[in-house]
Formats: sequence, C-alpha cells, structure tokens
Amino acid sequence: MPIKSPFESSIAKAGAGKVVLSLLPPAIPSLSTLTYKYPLKLLTRSPGFVPQSAFTSASQPVHLYLLTYGGGLLPGDQIDVSISLEPQTRLVVTTPQGSTKIFKTETSPGRTLSDQSRQVLDVRIGKEAALCYLPDPSAPFRDSRYEQIQTFTIDSTAKGSARSSLCVLDWVTQGRISRGENWDFQVWKGKNEIWMADEPTVSNNTQKLKRKLILRDALILNDETVGSHAEPRDPTNPPKSLIRERTSPHGVIGTLILYGPVFESLSSFFVDRFTSLPRIGARNWSSSAPAASESTPHYDSKVTFTAAQVRAGCVLVKFGAEDFETAKDWLGAVLREEGSIAREFGEEALLCL
Amino acid sequence: MTTESHVKDLEEEISDLESRLENARTRLARVSASPPISDTSTSPLPVEVFPSPSHALLLLSDSALPLGSFAYSSGLESYIAHNKPLPRSITPVASFHRFLRLSLASMGRLSLPYVLAGYRKPQDLETLDNDLDASTPCPVAQRASIAQGRALIGVWERAFKGTYASGSAHFLKASEQEGSRAVEEFSEALKGSMDDELGPKGHFAPLWGVVCLAMGVDALQTAYVFMLNHAKAVLSAAVRASVMGPYQAQNILASKNLQNMIAERVELDWNTAVEDAGQVVPPLDLWVGRHELLYSRIFNS
Repeated sequence: MPIKSPFESSIAKAGAGKVVLSLLPPAIPSLSTLTYKYPLKLLTRSPGFVPQSAFTSASQPVHLYLLTYGGGLLPGDQIDVSISLEPQTRLVVTTPQGSTKIFKTETSPGRTLSDQSRQVLDVRIGKEAALCYLPDPSAPFRDSRYEQIQTFTIDSTAKGSARSSLCVLDWVTQGRISRGENWDFQVWKGKNEIWMADEPTVSNNTQKLKRKLILRDALILNDETVGSHAEPRDPTNPPKSLIRERTSPHGVIGTLILYGPVFESLSSFFVDRFTSLPRIGARNWSSSAPAASESTPHYDSKVTFTAAQVRAGCVLVKFGAEDFETAKDWLGAVLREEGSIAREFGEEALLCL
Repeated sequence: MTTESHVKDLEEEISDLESRLENARTRLARVSASPPISDTSTSPLPVEVFPSPSHALLLLSDSALPLGSFAYSSGLESYIAHNKPLPRSITPVASFHRFLRLSLASMGRLSLPYVLAGYRKPQDLETLDNDLDASTPCPVAQRASIAQGRALIGVWERAFKGTYASGSAHFLKASEQEGSRAVEEFSEALKGSMDDELGPKGHFAPLWGVVCLAMGVDALQTAYVFMLNHAKAVLSAAVRASVMGPYQAQNILASKNLQNMIAERVELDWNTAVEDAGQVVPPLDLWVGRHELLYSRIFNS
C-alpha cells in the first residue's frame, strides 16, 4: 500500500461520491452538494414531476443516476456513495445502465481479498423525506467477488406521518445465462441496514450519537473456497456447486424493504397479497369443479415470495424466481398495479422494472 | 498332600502381599495428588471429577430440556411442501439430507455468531438480542426463536439458577458469575418492557451462549451442543413428519458425516462477528416465511 499523502484528504477518493439534497424555500429541491470521482459517475435530473400525493408536504422528486464506467465493477473497484436527504426532500435513485456487472477476479496466488469489488452506500433520510431506490440487479460473473453494504439512517425523533420513508430493492442474479453461468461466482455479500439515529442529517463523526439497529438484511453467497484454509472437502459436495445448491431452485434472489408513511399503502398491498395467496397443499374437495387454483395462470405463481411486517412498521418482501425476467415482470406488475410509486415519484422511478 | 497345602499357603501369602501393596499405592497416590489440606474424605474418586462441567453439558443437551423445541421444524415442513412432488430420481431421505445440510449451514452463519458473542460478551446481551431481532426476516422465525429463548430463561430461573448461580455446589468462576448476572439483568429488562416493540425480546441464540457461560460449559462445547441440538430438533421433526423412522434418524444423528458437518460449521464461523452474520441459504427465508401458507401443518415453524 502506498504512503498516504497528507494533502489527499480534501480530494475525493477514487470511486467516492457525495450528494446532499436540500429544499430551498418555498419548496424547491436543490442539490447543495454533488461530487464524484472515477470510476463512479453521478448524474441528476429534476423532471419537474409534481407528485399526485396524499401528503401535503410532498416536494418534487429529484432523480439520481448511479453510473460506473463500463457499466460494472472491476476487481478492486471501490464505490463509496454518501447521500443525505434533508427534511421533506424526495430522491429517486436508479441505475440506467442495466444490471451492475461484477467482473471476474483473477485467482492467481499473489492476490488477496482486497481484489474484490465493493460498493458502499450510506443514505441519511431526514424527517418527511423519502427515498425510492429501485435499481437493476447485481449480476456477478464467474469467479467474481463482491461486497455491498447499504446503510440507511432514519430520524428517530420523527413520529407518525413525519417519519422518513424508504423503498429499497436489492437483488442478485445467477450471472450471464447466455454464457452458461449459474451462480458460479466466488463471493457475493450484500448487507442492508436500517438504523435509527437522533440526528440523521448530521454526519456521524462523533460516536456519541445514539443509534439503534432496526433492520439488518444480510445475504452471504460464498463458495467457501476463499478465506478458509484449504481442508479436505466432502467429496459429495464439491465447492463449485455450493452456492448453486444453496440458491436452488432460483435464478434470482431479492429483497424489497419498505418503511415509512409514503410506502404504507404499498406495504399493506404486499402483505395482503401474500396472506391471500392460495394455501399450499390445499385440495379442492368439491368433486365437480376441476382444480381451480392450478388452471388460472397468475404471475404470483411464478415467483416464490414472502411479505411480512417486521419491526417498527418495516415491511420486508423476499422473493425468488427462476430467472431475472420473471422477477422483473412480477415486481414491475405489482408496483404498477398498486400505483403509489408512480403517483408519488413518477413512472420514471420504475425505470429498471 | 503337604506340597499341595504348601502351595496354597504361598498363594495366600502372595495375594495378601498384593492387596497390601495395592493399598499402600492408593494411599501414596492420594497423599501426593491432593493438596496438603487435611483430607478426611473417604471418597477414592479423583478430585477433578467435581464439579463436573459435563453434568451441565448433559443437562443442556437433553432433549427433555423444556424449551419446546419439538414444536418447530425450522422450515422442514414447509421445505417438504414446496418440493412436492419430488422428482423420481430423488428419494425423500436424500431430499432431507439436503435440507439438513442447508439448515446447519444457515444456522452456523446466522445464529452461531450470536451464541458465541453472548458467551464472550455477556454484558452485551441486550444489544445482541436487539440486533438478532433486527436480522430476523419473518415473524415465523421470530416467534420460534423468542419462544425458545424465553423458555430457556424460565428453565434457568426455575431450575438451574439454584445450583449454578449460588455457588453452594462449587466455587463460582468470575465468568460464571458474569453469565448469571447477565441473564438476571436481561430477564428483568424483559419483564419491564413486554409491550415495547423495539425492547428486549429474548432470542434464543445469544441467551444460549450466556446460560452456557453461567453453567461453566466451555465455548467450543457451547457452540457444538447448540448445533447438535438444532440437528436433533430437525431430525425429530423429520421423524414426526414421516420422512424417516426413528432408527434412521438416530443413525444420521450418530453418523460421522453429521459430526464432521457440525465441526466444519463451528470452525468456519468461530470468529464470524455478529455484524457479518447473515443468511447463506436465501430460499430458507422463503420456506420459513411461507410456512404460514401451508394448508395443514403440524409444527409452529
């Protein structure tokens, strides 16, 4: 590792980006800070969409596009984005480049774990502010290693309809099906956390801030060949198939996290949809009618999902589907059918679906 | 005739001498082994038998320990329903083996770090409980974990505390005192905030670590018994869900394969920080969460 220059601290690190969205009076959203450095690129746009919102405080959403040169991450690439949403602002984050490609890590012996690519996203959401983050899935290529840490901090002092709102989608696919990839990467780690803190828009350089973990959703897909000292393995369980065995029968795995007043109706829509799913193993006892549940094709039947209210009103939707298209069609259809995202943030928020 | 009686005398003399030699050796061993305090005990047992840490271990690994573990299949019932009908090439037992492997891997990465963190830092029990609650993705899994955790507190308070926290049976080590104090404080906090949504919940994994610490079980055994008990619960559920018979279940439980699997998981996640704990088998969350959708069910999870 090279010696750090004492003058470096003022310049953004490679892959770092910082966004601060504030609201100028009377209600004009404005980006008071927007910086980024290669290989990260941040673009913004204010489409002038006026939300047909149920909330009087709703301001116009600003769009942020997360881009990387080449549309993906090379080994050793570190993306570190920090976003701050000041009270009453609304931000839509999408990835217009399609799925985030995670390129292969060379496995020559001299290389270390730092060669894995990594993306850190730290978002602070103020009172009555809302984040809608519906990106494309992450597509890890064969032999790649990747880690993603997404932290969302909400204001603990806000109550009721003044609470922060967030909608976060995080999904990962089996890789490039056209190349025969089927969960052939080495490591894919994804962690989403929601923290509650007293003053979320103030940066947490002091550790005195009282923080409480509200939700942690961590997914670790690891073929367990890296990091552990090589030991004789069970011959019936060769390491290459380990991730595949653990994700089977799905080709895409995802989580949607919903929190706050803006996404309340969407949350209950998902929960109702889940609880009204046909019972598994139910039989049609009336002899005259044919098996009704199997004859009606329904897109819910192609996706295995759960939706449940967890803590502090957070709703966690987890899903698995055979392939990316199926999951995308399902999720897009459900979000459009319910309609509140299009009403609050505009149809463009659903760009990736 | 005379020679015969002579032989008999000699034999008697030899056996007498042997018994005296044996006696003297025992006394010598006792004198040299025990510390020079006046040992009036008549017990010929080696000193280090008491207090026996394996006694606590046997209590904790007993399937009769009233935690209600029998009510949970940890997703097995739902897994069977989701994989029905099985392809002809896969037998129900082979399918079960896959589930057991997945379930242990998931338990190792998701819960074991909390067991060990509870054991190593009992003073953090409340934070660990909160963080594990935040990491539990569905109410089905949450209910199962909390019910068993609270049952463990109950067993500790009503049954084990008298012996293991009083110090009457043996001299309490500092770590054991710390463990029992942590359970005590946590139990108080739990009673004081029963309806606080973000308050203490009583999740099983960290409490298991702390109770094992209080009972003087070592860290490795704490982890191993935790994983073994999980395997036992899953196998017991498999027997009741008629996947296999009781002998076959015991056969799997006794197998070298299972032992290796547990040892491998413990070794792999021995130093995993709770911040890095997570789900390694994503469909397991779906199976457990969708247990509620089963038309008929015999288990609570």
